[in-house]
Amino acid sequence: MTKRIIFFIVILYILTLLQASFLVHFSLSGFLPNFVLIAVILVHLFSSSSKDKIIAALIGGFYLDVFSLNNAGGFFGFYILIMLAIFLFLKIISEKYVRFPIVKKI
Amino acid sequence: MLRGNFKKTVAVLLVLSVFITVFNLTDLSGKAKNFFFWLSSPIQRSFWQGGKNVSDFLTGILRTGALKKEAEDLRLENQELLVRIAGLVEQEKENEVLREALGLALEKESELILARVMNKDISQDSILINKGEEDGVSGGMTVITEQKVILGKIGAVYGRFSEVILISNENSSFGATILEREVDGVIKGKGGSGLSFGLIPKEKEIFENDVVVTSVLGGVYPPGFLVGKVKEVNKSDVDPFQSAEITPAFDVGSLDYLFILH
Repeated sequence: MTKRIIFFIVILYILTLLQASFLVHFSLSGFLPNFVLIAVILVHLFSSSSKDKIIAALIGGFYLDVFSLNNAGGFFGFYILIMLAIFLFLKIISEKYVRFPIVKKI
Repeated sequence: MLRGNFKKTVAVLLVLSVFITVFNLTDLSGKAKNFFFWLSSPIQRSFWQGGKNVSDFLTGILRTGALKKEAEDLRLENQELLVRIAGLVEQEKENEVLREALGLALEKESELILARVMNKDISQDSILINKGEEDGVSGGMTVITEQKVILGKIGAVYGRFSEVILISNENSSFGATILEREVDGVIKGKGGSGLSFGLIPKEKEIFENDVVVTSVLGGVYPPGFLVGKVKEVNKSDVDPFQSAEITPAFDVGSLDYLFILH
């Protein structure tokens, strides 16, 4: 568990720095996808552990809050709450509406 | 089982609420940001420089044709400007002679603080620079490039870093003018590096490529700094004023060093 948390801390930190300092130069008409958000969604889709999902969402939100300047009038925690809302939304969608087909052996 | 999950959710939410409240009520968020900016500054500087180099390389390959035409246009513009400079040098000499005759001292130049760009905001038109409170930077100071192009003003200030709210930020507006035509108006940021020039009287004529500079109106920025060029003029019978789209004179991606007016 600790290894995974460290993994998320490092990967999401690098992604945030890449987003803010490197990929800024490649935006199309000022538009640039949020790679931290994409990473958090991917963790949600491909990880089976609920703890992993919420930890990735909280760490990603924290980094976005730290590296965003004057977001929501200087309110710290804006992205943490957004990420938490996305986590809950995806959790509800995947639990209630997504069914994986089970292949039976004949 | 359900009770256990409910308890965990409540605990997570409670810890989160306390964390966010403490960070917002105290200066902890500023300190945390300053710490992370300090920790990341060497990596960010390398990433910024690397991104700029890669972007320049790719632009060179992808826009060869357009760049050739641009170079030709610039060559012609340069020739025209050289002729105008020759005329201005003559005028400058005359001005100096008149000043001396009238005993007027030259206006003292503002003190400048040199800063470097660290990163661009993920969601808004703001950039982070490597000078902060410890270097004498305070909120509201004007930020320009070395070519005297207006960039914006200082927003939040941390210990060693500060935020620059670019003129293209949606919350930014200030007075500007087209000197050649004596047209005054208000520049408003549109986000995504866009600018619009509004509140221009309808009877005034403005054209594409007219140069827009800051004016004393509103007192947001000192006058005479370059803002950009007129890209498109919008006139409508319904609106009492005309407006124009402006191409900013700066490109965030190619910024490296900039100056803060003290």
